[in-house]
Amino acid sequence: MKMDLEQLRKTAAEVAAREEVKYLVGWKQGTYGYRVAPAFVEDAAGAAELIFSPLCTANLATYLTLAEQLPVPRGGEPDDRKVALMVKGCDSRAVTQLLVEKGIERDEVVVIGCPCPGVVDAALLAEKYPETEEPAEMKWDGENFLLIRGGEETKIARNEILAEKCRLCRYPNPVVSDIMLGEEVETWDLAEDEGVQELENRDVDGRAEYWAEQFDKCVRCYSCRNVCPLCYCQDCILDRLNPTWVNRSVNFSENTAFNIARAFHLAGRCIECGECERVCPANIPLGKLNRKLAREVRDKYDFEPGVDPDAEPFQASFKPDDPEDFIL
Amino acid sequence: MTEKPKVGVYICHCGINISSTVDVDAVAEFAQKLPNVKVARTYSYMCSDPGQVLIKKDIEEQGLNRIVVASCSPRMHEPTFRKAISEAGVNPYFLEMANIREQCSWVHEDIEEGTAKAEKLVSASVAKVRLLEALETKEVDAEPAALVIGAGIAGIQSALDIADAGFKVYLVEKTPSVGGRMAQLDKTFPTLDCSACILTPKMVDAASHPNIELLSYSEVEEIKGFVGNFDVRVRKKARYVDFDKCTGCGDCATECRVKDRFPSEFDQGMGKRSAIYLPFPQAVPAKYTIDPENCLYLSRGKCGKSPKCQDVCGAGAISFDQEDEFVEFKVGAVIVATGFDPFDASRKPEYGYDDYPNVITGMEMERLVSASGPTGGKVKIFNGEEEIEPKEVALIKCVGSRDTSVGNEYCSRVCCMYVAKQAHLIRDKLPDANIRIYYMDVRAFGKGFEEFYDRVRRENVRYIRGNPSEIFKRGNKLVVKVEDTLTSTPLEDEVDMVVLGVGLEPRADMRGVMDLLRLSQSPDGFFLEAHPKLRPVDTATDGVFLAGCAQGPKDIPDTVAQAKGAAASAMIPLARGKVTINAQVATVNEATCRGCSFCVSICPYTAIEMVTVNRFGNEVEVARVNEALCKGCGSCSAACLSDSIQPKSFRDSQILPQIAALGVLK
Amino acid sequence: MSANFEPNVVAFLCNWCSYAGADLAGTSRVNYPSNIQIIRVMCSGRVNPLYVMNALQQGADGVLVSGCHPGDCHYMEGNFYARRRLGMLKDLMEFVGVDPKRFHMSWVSASEGHKWKEVVEKTVEDAKEAGPFEGFRRRQIDW
Repeated sequence: MKMDLEQLRKTAAEVAAREEVKYLVGWKQGTYGYRVAPAFVEDAAGAAELIFSPLCTANLATYLTLAEQLPVPRGGEPDDRKVALMVKGCDSRAVTQLLVEKGIERDEVVVIGCPCPGVVDAALLAEKYPETEEPAEMKWDGENFLLIRGGEETKIARNEILAEKCRLCRYPNPVVSDIMLGEEVETWDLAEDEGVQELENRDVDGRAEYWAEQFDKCVRCYSCRNVCPLCYCQDCILDRLNPTWVNRSVNFSENTAFNIARAFHLAGRCIECGECERVCPANIPLGKLNRKLAREVRDKYDFEPGVDPDAEPFQASFKPDDPEDFIL
Repeated sequence: MTEKPKVGVYICHCGINISSTVDVDAVAEFAQKLPNVKVARTYSYMCSDPGQVLIKKDIEEQGLNRIVVASCSPRMHEPTFRKAISEAGVNPYFLEMANIREQCSWVHEDIEEGTAKAEKLVSASVAKVRLLEALETKEVDAEPAALVIGAGIAGIQSALDIADAGFKVYLVEKTPSVGGRMAQLDKTFPTLDCSACILTPKMVDAASHPNIELLSYSEVEEIKGFVGNFDVRVRKKARYVDFDKCTGCGDCATECRVKDRFPSEFDQGMGKRSAIYLPFPQAVPAKYTIDPENCLYLSRGKCGKSPKCQDVCGAGAISFDQEDEFVEFKVGAVIVATGFDPFDASRKPEYGYDDYPNVITGMEMERLVSASGPTGGKVKIFNGEEEIEPKEVALIKCVGSRDTSVGNEYCSRVCCMYVAKQAHLIRDKLPDANIRIYYMDVRAFGKGFEEFYDRVRRENVRYIRGNPSEIFKRGNKLVVKVEDTLTSTPLEDEVDMVVLGVGLEPRADMRGVMDLLRLSQSPDGFFLEAHPKLRPVDTATDGVFLAGCAQGPKDIPDTVAQAKGAAASAMIPLARGKVTINAQVATVNEATCRGCSFCVSICPYTAIEMVTVNRFGNEVEVARVNEALCKGCGSCSAACLSDSIQPKSFRDSQILPQIAALGVLK
Repeated sequence: MSANFEPNVVAFLCNWCSYAGADLAGTSRVNYPSNIQIIRVMCSGRVNPLYVMNALQQGADGVLVSGCHPGDCHYMEGNFYARRRLGMLKDLMEFVGVDPKRFHMSWVSASEGHKWKEVVEKTVEDAKEAGPFEGFRRRQIDW
């Protein structure tokens, strides 16, 4: 698939220039290597730096709720303008889920949909093709990715560096949008979730051992929470002292409690964008926790978050015939 | 800032109920060392007056501001101690109870284990009580009206009492007439007064009372709200007869094309009725009803050239296009008087009720001996050729009662006496018949019962102790196979007629009312009262009361007594005009609420709404609780990701320390 | 694990059904293991699933949540929410390696004193089999 950058920038310029739009959030090339940075475009001119490439892994929907609501000076008026947002398929599910739980209102956003053939796992890419200082470019090229740097083009097989979340992606096309850029991409054959399956096949002690090793590494930086588009309580219970759900000390017990609570709060809400795992400095496979729960929600409760803006929130609803085989 | 907690811990011996399995002194010594505990004492009966005085005195002298009572279940005495501490000037919600009786001393035997557990429970209570908050109870107006569901003798009596006291009553009856089971009975034990004679005037009173709105042939569809303020919606089923025009003359039923074709419910199927019918001659209201399933016109769309009832009705009351109507009203209290079902004798196939026409149930016998019944009061059987008077009659007690094989462990309480009464009535009609009663025990416990039982025995009615195992046919005789357990003699008793003394069962359709009012069942399946001894007419739902056999088998005097009790209880909020609403309601921290409205979706009482508030100049949506509607269940809070909505007295900040106290890290 | 290990079980019971059922067990003098401690909440729907995690962290070896039978909830629907939430939690806990024997949920009505005894026996027995919970139990630090 070819992403027409011209069209993207033109559309973005038009949207950013709108009176009703405060700014547009998109992707721009980062300062070095495979980095891509969020771009906050306030006017038409700013749109020139926008890109959409296999390196645009970040889910920008998080900026919808991350933006601080500053106190309005006395006599002033709150800025009610819209935020425009570029979304891939997975990102768009975050937008939908935010609509479901009233994190945002539909008329507060302009959603620019970017059908996505799958992004790369930058860490995996860097492992195979070490990062250099020079900012690299990347393109989709059929069944391959095209890495462009120093004027040189390298073809890399798609499956070699495709991000895990994309191997398992069922929604490459945005589920909500005001403007759709380019044509819809075709969905692809889903990979098996081997990571989760491998753990499920272990006995309970095997799993305990695995997660003990993982949670032990946690430095409690809260990056996973901060980057998550659906973790947006102003006052997170995992930060709170009264009552104290989780002590602040960094040790295995508290780390585990933190990670369980974080994953549980996303049950039936996580849209599997994989950002938590991507940003984790300790490389804890948080995606496995989320995907396990997401799959249970899908299989047992026939529910999928972030696809229907009119859905009842999973955690705030029930069906009379919800499974209860675990009840004595 | 609130005062520093000064906790008093009071451990009850409850006679020896607690102290035999819990070393109460050791628990007191343990409690004394817990943080913020100023006093820890034991006493033989904390709930007694001196026990309460002990607490009050400590509050005054030691300045206690939090109280833990370790005794029985809070479901028992929480109100008692709340009242006591508030009399001593401490907020009644600064109380926490440790249940060391029902959930400790009564279920464990080892004193060491019991003591250890009691200590843990006390430490959890102390952990929680320190963090409780003072709550104020609020009052809202109560609607001075009551809803009575079911218009048998229980419902009628409750309705009359409440109406006589000057309150509006909505009396809802499912069937076309009031009267219930009592209207079907012939004579009543032990006094033998005619059931209809004493009931009919009450039926008429209920229908004509200026304060009673009788909704017959109607069903309650929905009840919302809470004590003092129930919103009720009732479906008035279509009678297909204009209620105001019908004069009750009965010409329609006489002319009906399917006249006397259908089993009469009132006559237990032994008599017949037409598709348009009055359930029984004294029915109130005396208005005809068309049974839509059997009416030719309503079921097939055609009845000859034109429906005869319509042709013949001088008042022009027949109205085939009538539809169900709905009425809505508000009441302050509800009485459930939905009665019982007689045990279905088919469930004891060994007695051949389905196979032999001369095996009948007690209810059928009532109709048979009744002068207004299908035989005009003659006890007759059909022997295959002709109708004859039976010579040999057997009555069997405890059919479907005290019988775990049909799932009914309980005694139905009325069968002993009604079977004796029927034996007496049969003796009256058939002076020469041989009558015997098969029984397991005779329980003649009520006023005049034993005397009546003696009288019946003197009337040459034989009581044979034995529970028949089978009834089968031999020639045109019925054989009752039984062992006379007093003489250990197996018998094969040949008789002409058997009356099964069927017991009382919970109504098959009680589920509907249970769901409407969130009521529970006791193990016997009848409605569960709030307390078996001290609150026998109350339910767990405030403002909802029970009367009559809906709560358990009862005879008529007990039913009337309970109906009067329920009426008196229901009138408390009506007379006061106010009800106290639950203080332990949910509350929202608007500063942390993220406005997701999960709680709004969850709340089954629509007690939460989203409101717009100003947060530093920005308009944000947050949840707000309507305290009058909130029941304090806390379902909202368990789903609140930011913990912003919390039920008072059951906050996370109050429960987590309890968990910690019970955990006791090693 | 030692054979005479006695687990510490924390139970959350709804006020109207299960707590009343446990009271009835007492009134009926039904005997059951003493290692279960009850925390009363108004409705099983009140039980924040994270309480289960917290109880394990704070020293419980097993946790039980019990409410009214489906359709019998005093608050109409609370137990349905509890069922969904705690079902999810159970899946999550098992996935992170907490023995499923450590957490149970049951429906016990106000009239089921005997069922309550059975539930307690099963919960305690399972917790006993699972042994002392080491997992992510909070450890007291000796300074």
